[in-house]
Amino acid sequence: MLGRTAIRLIVVMLVMAFAGIAQGQDKLQNYFSDAACKVKVTTDPTQKREILDKSFDKMFKALNTVQGSPLISKDDKVGIDHYKAILQEKQDELAGLNGYERVSDAQLNAFADYVVQDMEQAKETVTISLVALLLIIIIVILVV
Amino acid sequence: MARAFSALRKRSSAHPFFHERHASVLHAFWRYCCLALGLFLFSCGPAPPAPRETAPGVESARPPGYIVVCVIHGDGGYLFHDPDGNDYRADEEALAGAKRVAERNPEAEVFIFHQKRRRHFLLFFPRHDGEFYYYRNGRLLVQESYWRDQGQSRFDPEVDLYNRFRLEEQPQPIRLFLYFGHEIPEIDGTGYDASYRDRAFTVNDLVDGLKRITRDSAKFDLVVLSTCFNGTPHTISALSPYARYIIASPGNLHLSYFDLRPFEALDVGLRDGDVSAFAKQYARQSFDRLTKDIQTEITVAVYDVGRVQGFLNSVDSVYDHALTTLKDEMRTSVEHCDCAEDPVYVRPAMSEGIDVFYRPARFGRSTHKQVHSGWECLKLLK
Repeated sequence: MLGRTAIRLIVVMLVMAFAGIAQGQDKLQNYFSDAACKVKVTTDPTQKREILDKSFDKMFKALNTVQGSPLISKDDKVGIDHYKAILQEKQDELAGLNGYERVSDAQLNAFADYVVQDMEQAKETVTISLVALLLIIIIVILVV
Repeated sequence: MARAFSALRKRSSAHPFFHERHASVLHAFWRYCCLALGLFLFSCGPAPPAPRETAPGVESARPPGYIVVCVIHGDGGYLFHDPDGNDYRADEEALAGAKRVAERNPEAEVFIFHQKRRRHFLLFFPRHDGEFYYYRNGRLLVQESYWRDQGQSRFDPEVDLYNRFRLEEQPQPIRLFLYFGHEIPEIDGTGYDASYRDRAFTVNDLVDGLKRITRDSAKFDLVVLSTCFNGTPHTISALSPYARYIIASPGNLHLSYFDLRPFEALDVGLRDGDVSAFAKQYARQSFDRLTKDIQTEITVAVYDVGRVQGFLNSVDSVYDHALTTLKDEMRTSVEHCDCAEDPVYVRPAMSEGIDVFYRPARFGRSTHKQVHSGWECLKLLK
């Protein structure tokens, strides 16, 4: 009886892992798109900025947590660093730091779209393994 | 099977504890087992080919004036969102567009190859990861699933299917090749397929496929690379023997890709057989559509292959040397740049034979960059 239960549990875990791997990359893209949608339904520019800023912070926390994990390879750490650098540029531009002109209130919706589109294109140049990707998703969704 | 079941039922009915209800339960169980087995075998086997409306190569329809070969890579991260937050899969969208092109061109012979992510039935049984569609005179004649990992060369399965169904005797048709996917690497190339991480795919593999498709016949009149960063001296030079005109993006290209709608009426767009004019109009239209919603950089370039040879010859050795140097470098230490920004590539003939449609990103560090040479190069990050 115990053996049968253990087998069932393994099968369920395999199925979940398989589904997670297949959708891991998509979840990461959905994260920024969801933030952009929230920005667009908000009329107050201060709130728009807060939504974007929080989405960056949350992602940074997840990336830092995953980067510190012993499960992550050296290559993944380099990939995550690259991803963080791209994200940092966006956050700096939003706030007008590091040589950037602050994104004007009128442009916040367009900027939110820019973040979505640039991060969708970043996946071509940033290599992060599926394991790391899954960890990031889990942390973003469940922990942070 | 039915006979065995009857025998079992006969034997069981003699048993003192056997009731008719047990027999019906047993019968139902047996039927479900058969159904499950049938479904299992069906899912593991090749998808049944679509009924051919007419046997290819036999019917007497007029010979096609256009041959369109379309390769759509879908084995990777191809999800994108529109400004309303709706999500799309770039390969599925491109496939739908390619099918429309095939159905709306009664004068065309269209080959569509959809390279899909490898999936498994019940986790362990692999399913086909390629889907082939063959249209002629606007009608789907063949739909066939195939395995992508067969053969030595990357495009072996696609070239085999192309040769199996293409019409042998044709007067000079206009030949078009369309590729949709992520940037085709010039070096390394491993990891391009999510399902086959160790399998490499580079520009040389694409060139090999084109070489075998064109064989001794004429070049493709137009090759469209709907990818990021393939408007480079190396890629254009490598494709030169097999293309008269090439459309590619030297920069990032959003996953909504180039617009396929102009291909839906080839009889109109190519009425005079002027591929050059069609290519420029197509590039313009794609650029206009992309600029509506896209906030990142947009660059679409048309290369007149005959006229860009002077520039290509003058930078070939420099670019190849850069590629060789970069081969051993880590991918993250390499950055794309406009060739015009690196003095070693600047030549007087740089803009000869090339039409560029460019708009900088609306945000980021490059908003001030107002022109693009149409050529993309690689540089080491410091």
